[in-house]
Amino acid sequence: MLRTEEMLLNVGPQHPSTHGVFRLVITIDGETITEAKPVVGYLHRGTEKLAEDLTYTQIVPYTDRMDYLSAMTNNYIVVHAAETLMEVELPERAEFLRVIVMELNRIASHLVWFGTYLLDIGAMSPFLLAFREREQILDLFNDLCGARLTYNYMRIGGVKWDVPEGWLDQVRAFISNMREKLKEYEDLVAGNEIFLNRTRGIGVYSADEAIDYGLSGVNLRAAGVDWDLRRDRPYSVYDRFEFDVPVGKNGDLYDKFTCRMEEIRQSLRIVEQAVDQFPEGPVMAKVPRVIRVPEGEAYVQMESPRGELGCYLVSRGKDKPYRLKFRRPSFYNLQILPRLLKGENVANLVAILGGIDIVLGEVDA
Amino acid sequence: MQAWMWLGPVIMLFVVLGFVTLAILFERKVIGWMQSRIGPNRVGPWGLFQTVADVLKLLLKEDIVPQKADETLFKLAPVIAFVPAFAVVAVLPFTDSLVFADIGVGLLYFIAISSITTIGILAGGWASNNKYALIGAMRSAAQMISYEIPLVMALVGVIMAAGTLNLSGIVEAQKEMWFIVPQFIGFVVFFIASLAELNRTPFDLPEAESELVAGYHVEYSGFRFAFFMLAEYVYVFAMSALTTVLFLGGWNPLFGFTFLPPLIWFLLKFSLIVFTLIWIRATLPRIRVDQLMQLGWKVLLPLALFNIFLSALLKEIPGIGSYY
Amino acid sequence: MLGLLKGMGVTLKNMTKKKVTYKYPDEPVKMPERFRGIQHFDPEKCIVCNQCARVCPTDCITLTGRKHPDPNKRGKIIDTYDINFEICILCDLCTEVCPTEAIVMTRNFELAAYSRDELFKDMEWLHDNNTKIRGGSQ
Ligand code: SF4
Ligand code: SF4
Repeated sequence: MLRTEEMLLNVGPQHPSTHGVFRLVITIDGETITEAKPVVGYLHRGTEKLAEDLTYTQIVPYTDRMDYLSAMTNNYIVVHAAETLMEVELPERAEFLRVIVMELNRIASHLVWFGTYLLDIGAMSPFLLAFREREQILDLFNDLCGARLTYNYMRIGGVKWDVPEGWLDQVRAFISNMREKLKEYEDLVAGNEIFLNRTRGIGVYSADEAIDYGLSGVNLRAAGVDWDLRRDRPYSVYDRFEFDVPVGKNGDLYDKFTCRMEEIRQSLRIVEQAVDQFPEGPVMAKVPRVIRVPEGEAYVQMESPRGELGCYLVSRGKDKPYRLKFRRPSFYNLQILPRLLKGENVANLVAILGGIDIVLGEVDA
Repeated sequence: MQAWMWLGPVIMLFVVLGFVTLAILFERKVIGWMQSRIGPNRVGPWGLFQTVADVLKLLLKEDIVPQKADETLFKLAPVIAFVPAFAVVAVLPFTDSLVFADIGVGLLYFIAISSITTIGILAGGWASNNKYALIGAMRSAAQMISYEIPLVMALVGVIMAAGTLNLSGIVEAQKEMWFIVPQFIGFVVFFIASLAELNRTPFDLPEAESELVAGYHVEYSGFRFAFFMLAEYVYVFAMSALTTVLFLGGWNPLFGFTFLPPLIWFLLKFSLIVFTLIWIRATLPRIRVDQLMQLGWKVLLPLALFNIFLSALLKEIPGIGSYY
Repeated sequence: MLGLLKGMGVTLKNMTKKKVTYKYPDEPVKMPERFRGIQHFDPEKCIVCNQCARVCPTDCITLTGRKHPDPNKRGKIIDTYDINFEICILCDLCTEVCPTEAIVMTRNFELAAYSRDELFKDMEWLHDNNTKIRGGSQ
């Protein structure tokens, strides 16, 4: 064997493919990684601690900034936690609206993943094409709640706005357009030999390992664990919709890709059903002006685009939480990274990191 | 004669620079269109002066030499990379009369000189004293070695058929039939290998921005960086011209449409190749470094060898033998 | 090989399709009615109830009031009203709680400035920011 010297390479915090300010200290032997140490915390804003000094209404805009690619699900987890303790009866229309926006947000988030992932692998066009479609979702959100990224849409007891005129039709139009575009994406990359070679059999882990590492979401399902909180622990009105949960077999990057693409399809299905069954009625329940959550604790969980998003809320009966803890899926999913990178080629680094789909705002909170 | 000797290359330099300016703009436009964008449109009408503005900006920028870099080599590297890029243009025949150096071993000269650029890249990457740059430079060297061989092997078929290494001679030999038809395997191998030689997507590993930030030129700024960029695009020019000459029949018209002057024919074919390069760049992801090696050694090289064998065999068959 | 060609086809098809980019800043981007842009403030309407400052999650509103100059009238009138747009997140909460609609959202969003100081907007500025008000005309 040729004697080679190990080299310490600092990937990030400023690196085009770490998706934000994530740092990875890797030791490489030639182009093979022998050790990888993730360093997180550059984007830490202390959301959980800040929340202790904020009223429930005020916390919601802060959660927008955690997982900024799917702010709707973050909004939901907080209001859901408070509503669980308060035992609020939500109007149906509000529940439906929540489901619609959360699923649309999931699509938007997966689209960003698709685009940035292909960009990591070196293809430029998918990124812009995916953002073209995502833009339509953001425009829909802009019409609905006046913001494109930080929605602050959900309130305890419902949602802030009812649908504007013609909005549902726009959603319908988007669904059919998106279905077409999905085919285009698959034509563009799914059969591409270079893409297949770069994703098949790379970054493999078993189902047991996935569970051991506490992975959730697509990272878990790609390894073959059939577990989706929307179906297995239904919240909101998810039990009324029909949808499949795509599950992978090999736990490699390609399975993650197919799972995410299929999830977009299933989300479209959910949105379609929700739009069709959209009920009449108010969008806000009767809640007091100043929200005081009764004493107690609650842990609620949901399926965010990245995995199990949880919120543990301890209330002492005040208008502010005593303790708020988020289970942030990106953070947990990231833990498997050192194990996956060991022994891999540097060129696979970005592919594997991208496959986990982290959002640094959520990792660091 | 004297004036021509001096003026020719100077004019050529400006032509090449003009091409580079246009090519970069064209590339950005086309990629923009393919991505539902309109591309640069702010500087000048239709964004025509975008590249000029970019280059101007680069020239005005502070020239930074990293403290720990090997200064001499660092400064020399862009020159080593650029000079051969321009030197190869000399042997390219654009029409039967428009050629600067009609030397007997034109093809060999082209291939030999163009490999010197890699030394510049390697030197630049090493002298930067940056790990990303070093990895990029290493990749570049490895890639060059692996792809130069199939590239040359793929050309043997053409040389056999034309019976000369002189580029004008090769074009002459394609009067009847362009080599892309009989030498199709050779063309495919050559085209893929030339993509790799050009460090273009899907073989842009030496500068893979999502992996190595910018690869070998990560530490370069200002006009030194401009030189690397320039070298790259001059090679696009040279390689596309070479492909046209070797496989698309140079200035020979298609279907005997002689009403278009030869130079136009040349430019048409040449633009087609450039467009294909851009098109590929807009579509394909990057290949992985080990797969790159496998492709070079296990697929392209055997294919090229097979092509030589096949050409030799077919040459003996009466009837179609004249095409080989 | 087929997959590669298919992908090439997709990009080629997209080349002739309609472009989706905006001509911003040549043409202003039209924001929807509900858009949360820079607030407009109407001192006449404000009753100095302090609700907006209290609900603001980032504490970016500072206001002071004084007694109504007309001794026959009760209540207060606003003296100063500042929003610090360095930290305002345009969350819409202040406009939501204001009982008199003294503070309302507009569809203006261009806040870029060369200095941070310029982002500190006072009552006068906010009052003059009176175009494209939510719920208003146009
Ligand atoms: S929009 Fe939100 S952050 Fe801005 S001033 Fe109003 S309440 Fe404060
Ligand atoms: S909530 Fe409205 S009325 Fe009350 S202080 Fe604020 S702006 Fe004035």
